[in-house]
Amino acid sequence: MELVCEGIAHRYGALDVLAGIDLAVQPGECLALLGPSGCGKSTLLGIMGGLLAPSSGRVVLRGEAPASSLNPITYVFQDFALLPWRTVAGNVALALEHRGLSKTEMDARVADALARTSLTEFRDAFPKQLSGGMRQRVGIARALSVDPAVLLLDEPLSALDAQTRDLLMEDFLKLWLASRTTSVYVTHNLQEALRLADRICVLSRRPGRIKEIVALDLPQASRGSPDAARRMAEWAEHLWHLIRDEAAVAEREVANVR
Amino acid sequence: MFPISRRAALAGLGASLAAPAIVNAQAPAKTSVGVLRLSSSGPVFVAAERGYWRDLGLDVELKYFTAAQQVPVAVTSNDAEFGVTGLTAAFYNLAGRGALKIVASQARDEKGFPLTAYMATNAAYERGLRSPKDYAGKRIGITTTGSTFHYMLGLIARKYNFDINGVTLVPLQTLPNMQAAFKGGQIDGILAPVTLARALEADGSGKILAWAGDETPWQLGALFTSPRAIDTRRNVVERFIAGYVRGAADFHAAFNLRDAAGKEIYGTNYAETLSLVARAVQQPTELVAQGLPYIDPQGRLDVGDIYAQVAFWQQANLVTREVNARDVIDLSFVRGHMNVPRG
Amino acid sequence: MSDRPVEFRGLGFAPQPVRYAALAAFAVLLAIWEYAGRAGLVSPIFLPPPSTIAKALADLWAQGLLLRHLSESAYRLVFGWGLGTFVGLAAGFAMGIWSVSRAIGVPFVSALFPIPKISLLPLLILWLGIGEASKVATIALGVFFPTVIATYAAIDAVPRNLIRMGQSFGLPTSDVLRKIVLPGALPGILAGFRISSSIALILLVSAEMIGAQYGIGAFVLQAGNLMLTDQLLAGVVILSILGLAIGTGLGQLEKRLLRWR
Repeated sequence: MELVCEGIAHRYGALDVLAGIDLAVQPGECLALLGPSGCGKSTLLGIMGGLLAPSSGRVVLRGEAPASSLNPITYVFQDFALLPWRTVAGNVALALEHRGLSKTEMDARVADALARTSLTEFRDAFPKQLSGGMRQRVGIARALSVDPAVLLLDEPLSALDAQTRDLLMEDFLKLWLASRTTSVYVTHNLQEALRLADRICVLSRRPGRIKEIVALDLPQASRGSPDAARRMAEWAEHLWHLIRDEAAVAEREVANVR
Repeated sequence: MFPISRRAALAGLGASLAAPAIVNAQAPAKTSVGVLRLSSSGPVFVAAERGYWRDLGLDVELKYFTAAQQVPVAVTSNDAEFGVTGLTAAFYNLAGRGALKIVASQARDEKGFPLTAYMATNAAYERGLRSPKDYAGKRIGITTTGSTFHYMLGLIARKYNFDINGVTLVPLQTLPNMQAAFKGGQIDGILAPVTLARALEADGSGKILAWAGDETPWQLGALFTSPRAIDTRRNVVERFIAGYVRGAADFHAAFNLRDAAGKEIYGTNYAETLSLVARAVQQPTELVAQGLPYIDPQGRLDVGDIYAQVAFWQQANLVTREVNARDVIDLSFVRGHMNVPRG
Repeated sequence: MSDRPVEFRGLGFAPQPVRYAALAAFAVLLAIWEYAGRAGLVSPIFLPPPSTIAKALADLWAQGLLLRHLSESAYRLVFGWGLGTFVGLAAGFAMGIWSVSRAIGVPFVSALFPIPKISLLPLLILWLGIGEASKVATIALGVFFPTVIATYAAIDAVPRNLIRMGQSFGLPTSDVLRKIVLPGALPGILAGFRISSSIALILLVSAEMIGAQYGIGAFVLQAGNLMLTDQLLAGVVILSILGLAIGTGLGQLEKRLLRWR
């Protein structure tokens, strides 16, 4: 499915957060929203998924969702948003319970989501007993269980340490390549964007505007090869150039924004 | 401090002027008495105000309390050397364990002295509750188990020969609670102090059936002290009682006289004594005049009634068996106690 | 420099469970208390020794009154606490969820919570009589306010992102309340139960000031009115045991319901 933002602007009180965002997320692509802290990328993601009402503009979902999709627009959250009183399986089931599924189908969906995220043996564990990386796997399993048509990921790896992040990034990439679900991936981390995205949309700081959209015309699977190294370096250089000044200012101001 | 040094200087001056005639050159003995701000403590207020204790070389501090049970506790705990209040089961429980001794009388319920009313709610009155003898089998509100009200019900039961256990006693702890239950018709009757009783009857909430003084005279209250004080400061105790009895005599002479028809006679210094008592109890004189109790002019006790009280409470299982009425009273300070059991 | 072993200096400030310490301290205290009474250091009127209190308890049992007092009080506690908790939870939920009911409720609760319920007894008697209703109402009234406060504070403490997560998966509002808000608020609500159950016990004595002939509170009141200090303390012991039992029960409930913590 295709997700289109038309003239989105948003303000919190006197603070202009987003201005004039026109953006179409193509079916089957992974679009990264890249920008420094406080550029409004999480706000934009909230607006895209209907959790925030924009001050002006609208978001349109185009096309038919597959019949198996229970929740066309589905989030993965930065802080995992797991219910601490439910087990791993229970947290996944939360997304399904109100859909009127038969018990067999529900169990099958839970089992499948857990299997795809290698969580099967942890199905009865509580979130408190899991590491950060495992917790985010539960968040991803929950999102997969509803067969999303559009996946909105809000800095899903930011809360994790560097090693876990790399591991989970590869696992996520595998899953994504298998399904090619239309995805919007919010991050402030250049490496994640370069590894995962088909296109990278760079946002400027307040009010957030689209500064540039960089298309990475190189399949994700081959980005790690030595041949690709030079092109990757060029993109990195270019993107870093785009965000460096913004990031520098943001770093000094971040305390005022939150 | 200045006032004390001046007083000391004056005392010294007086002593040197009157030279050998005055024996009492030493400072007055200090003591204290626990009282409630009720007119039944009148003798204390009169004796203090008119300097009867000062004349006897006593410096008496009045310690005010707000509930009858606090006074015997204060004497037990040495916060006051003497106390005057109504006699309750709690009093005998303390006294019987050797903490207190009765030495003189306070108020007595007497014919013609309306202090406590037997009341009926309008509804109960309509259903035939016309006299305290009809209290049998009814629900009657009192303050607490073991209170003077409780004993008065016992007296009524004895007088009219019904079983006190057949009366449902409803302990409501406070007068406002009793008033609320009475007005709401939750109970058939209450025992009420005169001012409350008159107010309830005046606003049409219920009827006064009789007065405890007319129905069942009894020894309502007493002056008491600790056995320790009697043993170690007998001289102070004697002087205190002498001053107290002078106050009681004044009180009696002002308020307790009746003509042949039982009508009140304004006695000696009526107005002045009334305003003295009213000041002490912090109530308007008209209200105080409504509820002046009978007080024996010589501080004599109805000793037999005290024995009967102890027996009643013990029968009701509210005073421990070890308590012996004889040990609770010291008859040696006042002459002519009435109704003293033999043996 | 010569070799010197580094000395351990990280001692203490690490609380560890010490078994039986509380019990031992309690036993020592009882022994001292008993000795002081027997040796005549303390008058039995002021502080009856434990053995006398135990005897008062035994007498109460022998007369068959203990169970009668306990059962009447239990009735009032269960219904009073239950009613106050039920209504308090409903009001607390309303205030935790809807801004309008919070705007109305908060000033009401702030104004009415600090009123000593005992001062309302005459009014309660007028409204509800001197039967069980006014006794239950006294306890319910005392339980209501802390329950409201605990409940809406607990709902406030439910992380908003969990609620948004539920909404993002299309959970209907009733499911968001039942599956996210309620369990998320449960720890705070259960902590509120500990407070409200203590308040219920405290108010038991006030409630039984209203013409109660039986009940632990009535027994304590009567013992106080009669200056029977051994019975008074026996009643206090029963109240403490009741409090301990309720506390332990709630602890078990927390353990079962909040296993995930």
